[in-house]
Amino acid sequence: MAIRGAGGGSIAVMKRVVALIAFFSLLFILFTSVAFAQVQTQLRVIRASNVGQGVDSSLKELHNELKTLFNFTSYRLLRDENLNLSLNQPVSISARERRIIMEITLMGRHKNVAELRIRVNREGTEILNTQVRLSPGRTVLIGGPKVREGVIIYAFYAHF
Amino acid sequence: MKDFCSSVSKLLEKYFDQEVTDKERLLVEGHLQDCPACRDALRSMEELRTLIKVPVEEAAQKEDFPWVWQKIEREIRSQEKLTWWQSLRPWLGLSPLLKKKIWIPAVATIMVLLFISAQIFFKKIPSYSGASVVEYVESETNNVMVYDLEKARVTVIWLFEEPEEEVSPS
Repeated sequence: MAIRGAGGGSIAVMKRVVALIAFFSLLFILFTSVAFAQVQTQLRVIRASNVGQGVDSSLKELHNELKTLFNFTSYRLLRDENLNLSLNQPVSISARERRIIMEITLMGRHKNVAELRIRVNREGTEILNTQVRLSPGRTVLIGGPKVREGVIIYAFYAHF
Repeated sequence: MKDFCSSVSKLLEKYFDQEVTDKERLLVEGHLQDCPACRDALRSMEELRTLIKVPVEEAAQKEDFPWVWQKIEREIRSQEKLTWWQSLRPWLGLSPLLKKKIWIPAVATIMVLLFISAQIFFKKIPSYSGASVVEYVESETNNVMVYDLEKARVTVIWLFEEPEEEVSPS
């Protein structure tokens, strides 16, 4: 019968422990870096006009703000998107037959603030370029691009 | 021949105990055919074994082994019972973990991980509470207005755009 050295077993266990620690460390670093490089944002594309009356039921929580800020009589939700933004990866959203295109890019992420660069293009021409700091509980409205029946309003909300 | 005989005689005991390799066995058996002295030596070993074996077997038959086993079992049962942690530790293979050369690197690694995570999670970030929500805004084609409704935490960026030119069908 072979006699194993007294330290052989503990060295093997140590190697296993070190390998496990290294594996979980890598997993942890990977997870935190990925988690901090992504931001969940909700974007609503609203058409505001003076044609007709009423606010879409899905815009109920925005109703008061819209009525306080603007003089339109009708608000219709055109799109409701949950965007998963990655650092420096632009995401394009089109409205009204793709003539108005919004490009959103996550420029940075701090603990509870996401820096978004937003560009609005009409038929290939940039009409607006801005960078905003979005945080939970805050709404950023970008409006004004004309459409036949009124204007487009983009509403941004943070989900992180 | 005498030298060869003495070298084979060293293997003879191993041969007798059936511990030789095939090559050694052939060598010894070949030599035994030609060497009466070695044959005698082997025969002596067999006789000696028989002499020892018989009394030992007789003594073993007289011995009461079930009684010995009962005594051993009693001894095992009378031993102090292990605590749940003592019985769990070998099963988990944790005992080597308690050695310094394991837990010192493990604790060091955990400390480094905690330090890194503290840097990430508790990093002193610039306060944006007083800073503007809009970092910059520009438009080469239209006027732009920025309006903050601080009570409702709403920021409005409004682009004053001319109405779209309608293409009238002719």
